[in-house]
Parts: sequence; structure tokens; C-alpha cells
Amino acid sequence: MIIVAPKDFKEDFWKSKDIKISIGDIVQDEVSGESGEPVEMGPTPKPHVTDLREWDMKLMERYEPFYAPFCDMCCLCTYGKCDLTAGKKGACGIDIKAQQARMVLLACCIGAAAHSAHARHLLEHLIEKKGNDFPIDLGMNIDIEAPIIRTLIGKAPKTLGDLREAMDYMEEQNLHLLSACHTGQEGSSVDFESKALHAGLMDNLGKEIGDIAQIVALDMPKGDENAPLVEMGMGTVDRDKPIVLCIGHNVSSGAGVIDYVEEEGLEDNVEVCGICCAAIDITRYNQHAKVIGPISKQLKFIRSGVADVIVVDEQCIRTDVLEEAKNNQAKVIATTDKMCLGLPNLTDEDADKIVAQLINNQIEGALILNSDKVGEVATKVAMQIADDRGMLKLLPDMDEIQELAKECTECGWCTRVCPNSIPIMEAVMGASEGDFSKMEALYDNDVCYTCGRCEQECERDIPIMSMMAKIGENKLKEQRFNMRAGRGPIQDVEIRKVGAPIVLGDIPGVIAFVGCTNYPEGAQDVAKMAKEFLERNYIVVTSGCGAMTIGEYRDEEGNTLYEKYSGDFDAKGLVNVGSCVSNAHIPGACIKIANIFAKKPLEGNFEEISDYILNRVGACGVAWGAYSQKAAAIATGVNRWGIPVVLGPHGTKYRRLYLGRTDKEETWQLNDMRTGNVVNGEPAPEHLLYAAENREEATVEIAKLCIRPNDTSKGRQLKLNHYIDLHKKYFGTIPEDVYKFVRVQKDIPITYKKDVMDILEEKGWEPRAIPQEPSIRDFKEEPKKKANGK
Amino acid sequence: MNERIIPWQPTVIAGPKQAMLVTPETAKMMLKKAKRPLFVIGPLVTGDPIMKLTMDISEHWDLPIVTTGDAYKTFGDRGIKTTRYGVVEIVNLLKDPDWKGIKGEGQHDLVMFIGCIYYIASQGLSTLKHFAPHLKTLTICKFFHSNADASFPNMNDDEWLKYLEKMKSD
Repeated sequence: MIIVAPKDFKEDFWKSKDIKISIGDIVQDEVSGESGEPVEMGPTPKPHVTDLREWDMKLMERYEPFYAPFCDMCCLCTYGKCDLTAGKKGACGIDIKAQQARMVLLACCIGAAAHSAHARHLLEHLIEKKGNDFPIDLGMNIDIEAPIIRTLIGKAPKTLGDLREAMDYMEEQNLHLLSACHTGQEGSSVDFESKALHAGLMDNLGKEIGDIAQIVALDMPKGDENAPLVEMGMGTVDRDKPIVLCIGHNVSSGAGVIDYVEEEGLEDNVEVCGICCAAIDITRYNQHAKVIGPISKQLKFIRSGVADVIVVDEQCIRTDVLEEAKNNQAKVIATTDKMCLGLPNLTDEDADKIVAQLINNQIEGALILNSDKVGEVATKVAMQIADDRGMLKLLPDMDEIQELAKECTECGWCTRVCPNSIPIMEAVMGASEGDFSKMEALYDNDVCYTCGRCEQECERDIPIMSMMAKIGENKLKEQRFNMRAGRGPIQDVEIRKVGAPIVLGDIPGVIAFVGCTNYPEGAQDVAKMAKEFLERNYIVVTSGCGAMTIGEYRDEEGNTLYEKYSGDFDAKGLVNVGSCVSNAHIPGACIKIANIFAKKPLEGNFEEISDYILNRVGACGVAWGAYSQKAAAIATGVNRWGIPVVLGPHGTKYRRLYLGRTDKEETWQLNDMRTGNVVNGEPAPEHLLYAAENREEATVEIAKLCIRPNDTSKGRQLKLNHYIDLHKKYFGTIPEDVYKFVRVQKDIPITYKKDVMDILEEKGWEPRAIPQEPSIRDFKEEPKKKANGK
Repeated sequence: MNERIIPWQPTVIAGPKQAMLVTPETAKMMLKKAKRPLFVIGPLVTGDPIMKLTMDISEHWDLPIVTTGDAYKTFGDRGIKTTRYGVVEIVNLLKDPDWKGIKGEGQHDLVMFIGCIYYIASQGLSTLKHFAPHLKTLTICKFFHSNADASFPNMNDDEWLKYLEKMKSD
């Protein structure tokens, strides 16, 4: 070997020659957009924790964090518990605001870690199966295939192996963020918030990595607006067959089951079904799999005893699944390092030996960290135990339910501990008299989402959840629905078609129903909201449990909304992007609008893109049943992109919202980047993270949150028309704040012209300038003047 | 422990600071003492006799009403003019000592709640407990709210109606 001493160069040599050296990576000219031309890197490639802080502060100047402490104390270190009421600080010096923000950051870090560890596992698993160089090809219609990665990392991934760079970056950032939660570090609530926003952004990134990896490597639909309808509901599985149930989020083990069933030609002999996002992703992988439903179905279905084998992977799985399964002699296979359940690790054991141990009850369940082996073991076990289990009587019959219900002492604590205080006690009392209608009313529409807290509280150990499961068995025929299989990203061609109508306001908004099933009054509220906006020409996007919930609703003609509306990303389109990780495609679509329609470069250009989305893309997220830390991270992440989110009432338990103040007019001023003028704006969007008390309030708020400063007068008319219409429908009047959204008379919807004009007159309204390029970012140079300053 | 003062949803207990249990008599004393009280009515107030009682209470004590959720329509349909806010919006305004209040006359010093969904009300009351030392909160629902400054106890409908009846007079 010849060792060559490095030559000494002048200090400015590297800079002057513009030479870049990267160890391990080949730095190539980056291209962006459709033109294929090299693009300039923006100011914030791979932004570190503090690099987007200025943007966060701008957001929080307008949308000040609103704290609703869930706990008055801090119990994270041994100085504590510390009482933080009445302005008191804890032993470390933290105050109640900073403590709430710290808990929000922690939640967002957990959420981001859950999605991203899932993505990392999938990525390495798929690289092992398909190879490092397996291409990222989302088909002819998607050139901007990774808008979040492009914006944050500064380049487009071409292969599965390329995704590792984004993954490495995300993991490093999340580590720093989690570190800030340690006692005696950050002390400012707004800086905790800035970090939470960064954690949310990392969550978005992790999800995009995970979903792109699984789409390309497992050949899931690639932005297919005609993705097939898949069967959904507890009534769709053939109970005479062996049944493997997959619960969780990571498709690898479910895919292993499907592969084995196909390889062995057992498709007609074994049912493979899923709950929660695992269900969505196995049906993206293979449409013969069936969706039982969202997370709310978990205990109902497990208690019914229908599943012979329960394969659990990660996230949102009942942690007592093993105990529940044991009660009805079902077998549990844990498949990831996130959830081992105390089971023996049999990954390296012979599959047939594991099968024998399981069916002979030598082990309670098995931890198998190899998806192919999971597929083989789960299928074989299900086939061998199904007949015997079929003979088991798993649920009480109706007479027994009546007898059990007679044990009720009417203490009422079942209702008090219920998250929604639904009338469980009345339902049990009714059952004790042979009237099951009240219990049916709670079962229907997931009014009871079977968290099981009532059962835990019952002093007479009445098996309320088993009673609920039995009630459901009587209604199996009704529980057959469908859902459009998750299509993944939005096509570039669709963005080209709708970019202008969305930005100019002709399509009144893009509304995304996402998240979990912690619904305040049952699942139909989500479908009703989706239907309301579909009928009004909005684009409705959905994912995860929200997507399943929407599919469980049938309209007056008996159709599901997926049967009634197309999967196009267009007005009146109902677009199921897929599972939790597919949520990344929703901000992804907004980013693509900025890139494809407005030609904004993505690479390293987060602030400009987010500013564009905030001021011009009328998108609004709705997480009506959000419960998890992942949902906290999802919402916080899209907030940072400038997309407002409406939560259900339980969302206040996240401890923090971002609320605007319409009475503080100065916070709505905008910089018109085209003219250099500072102009008075409107409260659009009024809030960044809002929690509504009921569906009616949420519906009106969603319509309002789609208004953007950039709307043309025609677009503003349309948006105001819907806002006024819905306000009249649910509140009975023309909204008094409508004058704030009228810039010029042309903005006034014709249908409501007289009413609105009356309000304008009453409020002393005067016309104001419409900004041409509205922004909350600073001017590059000093502003020229203040126009129409009032 | 006295079941009347365990929070209706028991796990909303946030810490050592708990609401004071009040009778209608004490609640009325609080109203008498207040200079700028406000009445916040949520969407669970939907029909008589509760609606009528809340309207009578509002009239007797000359309380401006803020309605949350869709209660604005419920009251509007009965010809009662109220001011509509989301419950998180009105709480956000109430925590600001510089807010000018519903009538523009200054921030309120007492806020009385009824009919908001229990757990979101509890969260809003927590906000005010921590960040609005300039005002007192009073809840007259049939559920004990530990995050309020003062609250009626848990009680059945009959007892609650009697409590509300008493609130209609000095």
C-alpha cells in the first residue's frame, strides 16, 4: 500500500473549488421537480433541533400554546412529586407551563419513535429481502415520490438503501429531543414546544420512510385511485375456517402469514384478517385478507373467540392480549421487539416444534422475530386447533347474560369510570330484565369502544365486555362493510389538476380524517362529517382507524361512502391513503402542491414550503378520536407544516392546543412578498390545533379552517358559502365573524349577500387589500409601507 | 371518602388542590360578590326543565351567557341571545387578564359553568385554575368538578333540580 501524505491547501481551497467530499456516500447533483434540472439547496437541509426554531416562534406568536394541565404535579424525578399549582415551581425550577410542554414533547417523541422504529424495522427487513439497491419506483404518475424526505434531507431517495440516510437523521434528532425531556435541561415552554414541533416533523419523516419502503418492496397500490374495495367487518370472516388475526401496525408478520397461506395454496382454507392498521396494510398487500375494523373492535373480537391465532406486532394492541387469548384458548404469537409479552423467544426454533408446543399448551404463546416463520407457525396452529376450539362455548348465552346482569348493585361506577360516561349501568339493568336494546344501542356504532374500564371497576365482576361481544354476535349479518384499500401517495398528475383550484379556493378544501377511535359519541360522527364535506365538493382524505370508521357507515341507500364516492384526489373524492404511516402522504400532497403547482423548490426549503401551505393550501386535519402519542406527534408535525387540526373533546387531554386570537388583529398581519407591503389579514386559519366539544361545532370549525389568505374572491365566496351554510345548519344563524373574512365585496357569497352586507354595515367594515403573495415570514429587505393599515 | 366529592369521573383528580364543595347558598354568595360574572352553558343543556332553569338563573342574576358546542342553537331556537364560543376558545379568553370580557367592560371575575362535557370542562377548569388567578370558577352541574374553585357535589337529578331551583332567587 502506498501512503500519500495529504497536501496542504490554502484555507479557502475547498470553498473556492466548491468541492464536496462525503465518506460513504456519493454526492450527486440533485434534481428536483419534473424538469430534471439541478436545484439549489435551500437554507435548512437536515435541520437540527434549533434550525427551524424561528419558524416555530412565528407560528406561536400567532397561535399561542394553550395549556390544560392533565396533572398539577410533576412526578418524573425523585425530588417529586412536585406541586406546580398557584405559580409554584418544582424542585428543579420547572413551572406548570414548561412541564405541560415537556409532557407534550415527550408524547411527540414517543409517537415519532413508534412510527419510526416501525419504519426502521420494515426498512431493514425489506432490504434484507429485496436488497439495498431495490429501486424506489412509484410508477409513471409519481415523480415527486418522497416530498418530506426531499424537503428535509435535501435529496430524493432512489433505492431502499437510500432511505437509511433519512432514517439515520431522524433517529439522531429524536434522541436529542428526548434528551431535552430530562430533568434540568430545557426550561422554556416555547422551546419545549419548538422541540415538540420538531419531533412531530420527525414523525412525519419516519412515516414517509416506512410507507414508501413497504409500498415499493411489497408492491402495494402506488397512488391508485381505483384501489379495490376490500371486505370489512366482523361479519365478513367465515367462522367455520381457521382464523388468523393480525393486530397492530407492522405489516411484515401479516405479510408472512399471507405468503405462507399462498405458497401452500390454503387461500380457501384459512381466513387472514386484521384489526387496526395491520388490517389496512395486509389488505394493501393482498386483497383477499379481511379487515375486522378499527382499534375499537379489539376486545369485542378477541372476546368473541373467533380468532384461533392472534399475531401481534406493535402499537395500539391491548397489553393484556395474552390473558384475553388464554381465556378462550386462542394462541398468541408476538413478532417484534416492541411487544414480547414475557413469551419465550423461539425465533431460532424449528417451526413444527413451536407448533407442537403451542397446541400442546406447553407454552402460553411464542415470540418469533422472523416473519416467514410467523406465517408458517400461525397458519399451522390455526389449522390444527380450529376444530377443537369451535366446540368451545366462549360467550354467555342470552339467558346467562340476563342472570349475570341481575348481579348489578346499581352502584353506577361503571358509568363513572367510562371515558364517555355512557349509560352502561342502565344497559346492564335493562339486560337483567331481558331488555337488551340499551346494550345493543351501546354496541352499535361503537358508542362503547370496549376499553373495558367498566368491567375492571365492577364490584360484582359482571363480564360486561363479554356481554357486549355476545350482543354483537347476534348482529353479525349487519356487520359487513367495505373500505377502499389504502392507495398510498397522491399522484403528481392529480396535484397538477387540483393544485390551482385548491390554492385559489375553487375546491373549498382538503379535509383529512385520521387517527384513532376515542370518539365522544360513537363512530358515525366521523362518517357524517366526511359525508357532509364530500357532498360539498371538498376533497376528503383519510387513513388508519378513521378510514375504517368511515367504511362502517351506510347511507340511506345502503351504500358505504367508499361505494358512493371515487378514490380520486379531486372534488368529491374519498381518498384512503392507507395506514398510520401513510398519513405522511397527506402533508406530502400539500408539499407537492407547493412544488408542482407553485414551483417552489423543496430541497432544504422547509420554511418556505410551510409558509406556502399555511397561507395558501386550504387543508385541515381532523383527528376526532385521537388517543395515542402517535396521534399527538402526527398533529404536531402537520401543524409545523402549516396545516390546522381539529381534535375531538378528548384531545384536550393532550394538554396543549395552539389557539389564535381573533381579537388581536395585529397577529393576523401578513407580509405580501410580491409587493413588499404589510397588509391586514384575516384569522385564516384561525387556530392551528383546536378541540371541539361535539360534531356540530367541529363541522363548522373545519369549514372555517379551510379559509386561506390567498383565496381568490371566487374561492373565498365558495368557502364562505359553506361556512355560513354550516353555521346556519348547526348554530341557526349567519356567523357574526363573517365580516373578518370579507376583504372586498366580491368575496361575499351571492346566496347570503344581504345578510352579510347587514353584518358588514353593523361592524363598520371597510374593504382591504388582498395580498398577492401572503406570508408570515420576514421580508428579505425592509418592507416598503403598510397598506390599508387599520 | 364522601362520594359526593370524588370527581364524577374519578381519574380527573389532578393534584392536591381540590374544589370547594358548595351549596346553592354559597354559590349565590359568590354571585352576589362578583362584579362581572359570566355564565358558560354547554351542549348538554338541551331541554326543560334544565333549560328553563338556566334561563331563569341567568335572568335573575343578570348573567351574560356564553354557549359552547352547539348550545347556541338550542338557546337561539328558544329566542335566547347568547354569545357563541368553543369551550376552549372562551377559556383561552378568560385566562387573559387583559381580555375585555363579553360586554367589553373588562375581564370577568367569576365564571359559572353548566352543561359542558365533563372531561373537556375539567380540562378547561384546569387551565383556569392554573392560569387565571384573576377569576373564580363555579360549576353547577350535577357532577363534582375537582378542578373548579367551587362545585356542586355529585347528586341525582331530583336533588340537582332542587339546587338549581334555589339558584333562581337571592
